[in-house]
Amino acid sequence: MNPVIELNGLSVTFGRRAILKDLSGTVKGRAVGLLGPNGAGKTTLIHTLLGFHPPSSGTVRIFGEDIATNARRLRAEVGYMPERDSFIAKMSCVRFVRLMAELCGIPSEAALERAHEALFYVGLGEARYRSVDTYSLGMKQLAKLAQAIVHGPRLLILDEPTNGLDPPTRARMIRLIQEIRDSGRARILLSSHLLRDVEECCDEILVLKDGRIAANCNLDEERKANRKFIELETRGGDRTAFAEAIGGLGCEYALAGERRIKLVMQDGVEIDDLYRLAYERQVQIRRLNYKRDSLEDIFLKAMEGDENGAARGGEGHGLI
Amino acid sequence: MALFENSYRPYEGGLTPEWARFLVLPRYALRDVFGSKFFTAVFCLCFIYPLVSAILVYLRHNSNAIAIMQIDVRELLPIGASFFQFFVEVQGWLAFILTVLVGPVLVSRDLTNNALPLYLCRPFSRAEYVLGKMTVLVILLSLVTWAPGLLLFLLQAYLEGAGWFASNAWMAGAIFVGSMTWIVLLSLLALAISAWVRWRVVAGAALLGMFFIPSALGGVVNQLFFTRMGNLISPAALMGSIWRGLFGHFRREVGSYEDAWGRGFVEVVIREPPLWASWLVVALICLACLWLLSRKVRAYEVIK
Amino acid sequence: MTTRTTNAERMIVFEGVSKFYGEILGVNRINLAIAPGITSLVGPNGSGKTTLMNLMTGLLRPTRGTISVLGTSPHDPEKLFRKVGYCSQFDSFPPGMTGREFIEFYLSVHGYTRGEVRDLTQAALERVSMQDAAGRKVAGYSKGMRQRIRLAQSLAHNPSVLILDEPLNGLDPMARAEIIRLFQSLAAEGLYLVISSHILHEVDMMSDSVVLMHNGYVVAEGDVHGVRGEIEEHPMQILVRCDRPQVLAARLFEHEHTIEARIHDDRRGLFVRTRRPDDFYLLLNRLVTENNLKVESVAPADDDLNAVYQYLIVSEGGRVS
Repeated sequence: MNPVIELNGLSVTFGRRAILKDLSGTVKGRAVGLLGPNGAGKTTLIHTLLGFHPPSSGTVRIFGEDIATNARRLRAEVGYMPERDSFIAKMSCVRFVRLMAELCGIPSEAALERAHEALFYVGLGEARYRSVDTYSLGMKQLAKLAQAIVHGPRLLILDEPTNGLDPPTRARMIRLIQEIRDSGRARILLSSHLLRDVEECCDEILVLKDGRIAANCNLDEERKANRKFIELETRGGDRTAFAEAIGGLGCEYALAGERRIKLVMQDGVEIDDLYRLAYERQVQIRRLNYKRDSLEDIFLKAMEGDENGAARGGEGHGLI
Repeated sequence: MALFENSYRPYEGGLTPEWARFLVLPRYALRDVFGSKFFTAVFCLCFIYPLVSAILVYLRHNSNAIAIMQIDVRELLPIGASFFQFFVEVQGWLAFILTVLVGPVLVSRDLTNNALPLYLCRPFSRAEYVLGKMTVLVILLSLVTWAPGLLLFLLQAYLEGAGWFASNAWMAGAIFVGSMTWIVLLSLLALAISAWVRWRVVAGAALLGMFFIPSALGGVVNQLFFTRMGNLISPAALMGSIWRGLFGHFRREVGSYEDAWGRGFVEVVIREPPLWASWLVVALICLACLWLLSRKVRAYEVIK
Repeated sequence: MTTRTTNAERMIVFEGVSKFYGEILGVNRINLAIAPGITSLVGPNGSGKTTLMNLMTGLLRPTRGTISVLGTSPHDPEKLFRKVGYCSQFDSFPPGMTGREFIEFYLSVHGYTRGEVRDLTQAALERVSMQDAAGRKVAGYSKGMRQRIRLAQSLAHNPSVLILDEPLNGLDPMARAEIIRLFQSLAAEGLYLVISSHILHEVDMMSDSVVLMHNGYVVAEGDVHGVRGEIEEHPMQILVRCDRPQVLAARLFEHEHTIEARIHDDRRGLFVRTRRPDDFYLLLNRLVTENNLKVESVAPADDDLNAVYQYLIVSEGGRVS
């Protein structure tokens, strides 16, 4: 895939505070998650990508073009969904989205058509004729998404799109993001504090910490690797005896919580063998999966990587 | 039967010219503004005086009508520089009223609702935003100031003949420049106040205050110190000087006081500030407004 | 429903509580008894969660019914707020204060001496890891820091009950994990935490008990896994990923507790709906062994809060418009 964003020694300083420090790297995924603690510089990076202020040094290229020189042209290809409440008051949603489309250069009637299309796509029905002031939070988020996609940009920058949404609306927003990603016509940069959102939508992540890149990796590849660790959840029968029997096969194991068993598969041992043991002992295997390095582990490693170089994985420290 | 899929697709049609993008804002704003019946009524009222003036111009040239109405021609004011200057002044004040009605919310609403990032993440600059919002006022105020003014001028020229037109063509320029200067000053002040004051009522009051308070203060200074330098802080007085200048009625010496303080009579000549000073102050006010706007119209706030 | 048999003095009790705003429904006939530990309030916007919280803290009076918070009525704020700490969802502060001043100010209202105020403030700041930033003005804080300061303020006076409205809003993943650990340690100390949240997997993970609300009613209450078992109209759905799902399906259909088996789009998985999950899992052991199936993963498709939410709230109430 051709790169979306190329960072080359990008630094951004406000007054005397350096917010982004010498960022270098390439971002190529279809949907990229931007992660990092508060104050790491995510918002500043997004503002720099949008050309709201120039880099203090270094360059950043979007689709191969330098944002410092081609900001205006690039902005026509970028859609932005801000984190904070943003809308134009006293205007119906259709009118609002249409205005946003016209500001991108789309002629008036075409803008009206595309506004309706975008609103239909995000699922705002009759509500589109009401003023945005009267919308609930979920509808405002959908309206923000509509104005971000109305001009069909090639890069969508979404800042906390599921903020404050209740579960069904969040599921719908995630579905929309996945559809846009899968359509292949737009790349996505998703900034979120909810690792679950990033895990469901993104295939690459960029982790920032203290203004530097702490990690930049491809989630798909991480997920395919490592097929040795297995987690089971059981019910019924004697869990301890079952676990010991697994140990008898030569696998290392550990009991966790009241129902879980974690184990490391040995060469020559198959899952069939586990089932055979379960059958013999009348233990239900309610859940079984390979434990791969999930996003939370990657994130934790990135956060701690600077301090002691070694990674802490495994238990998941209460993160989801 | 064919099934149509509604999926995400890019836009592949033609685009509007870049220079004209800022006009999108006045198009939308004007439709909203005229959606208010109150405003439309006030707007229409602003045309009463131009209508009256047109009738006066017509009457001067129609002897039959004069005869019928038994008006003494000599009592009618001559149509000249004073006439048009008075017209510009009256319509200028009506323009001020329109600005107080429309101006305060132009920028403040967008700032309150954090709409600036949405504007600026598009191929649309801060300058275009300010220009677009200013154009709303410029269009509205032009329609009530120099547009009817020039029409009136042309009516007069048509009725008086080519000779009058040739010797008075400069007045058309004066009407246009005088009105536009006022429009630009008003618009920038209204936008700057709108950007810095969030509440509509307070912004309206601030705009009114911007004119009446300095006028009052200037007046006090003038009286106390037997001068007219106080006019320099009053936008109304500044514009007055500028209009007089444009229409050829500017006099620096405005009068004299006899100072009777028991030591005998002393004459104090009171002069207005020179014309260039008024223009300079107006220009400085406009620049200050632009600077204020540039501080507030941004995609994000920087907190130190 | 799980039954609570502990003494009313040691619970937060709602008895027949209704609240109407004029004609508009807030909550209708609520009967709840909340025990120590983490109780999460879940439901769509407008379902009555905030109303419930406001009733608990006495900010609203019920139209009908009675509420008792550890034996104290919410109409007695003097006594109530010694036991209760409240953190609203609104992110506003008195202007010009530093983080420390914010907490100290409200503590002094409680009547502590200067020294106590200082010590309690420091302890609260340390609990939320804000002791270093406490000297700076709140206006300069990030969203996450503001959230933490408000949490600190709500627990500074060591209440027994903490009522928190979306307390993790704006926190980055590490801060979320940290604060959840804080909640769990407070719960272990015996506090009552009532937390409202939209993030179902977090609720699932940290709560002892969940209260689901919809349209002003309590729709379900208790331990998630227990609730799921009681929703009988919806047989358990399980996803088994293996190499020959069609073989598994054929064998499963020989048994009457299998209601539905659907092969996954990628042809490497099988969705099974079964009336009796226990029988199904034991049967699975046998079928895998007998037919030499290569199983990749097994997971209940709906034994979590998300599924319960779907069944009880989304499908009952229709799509959210």
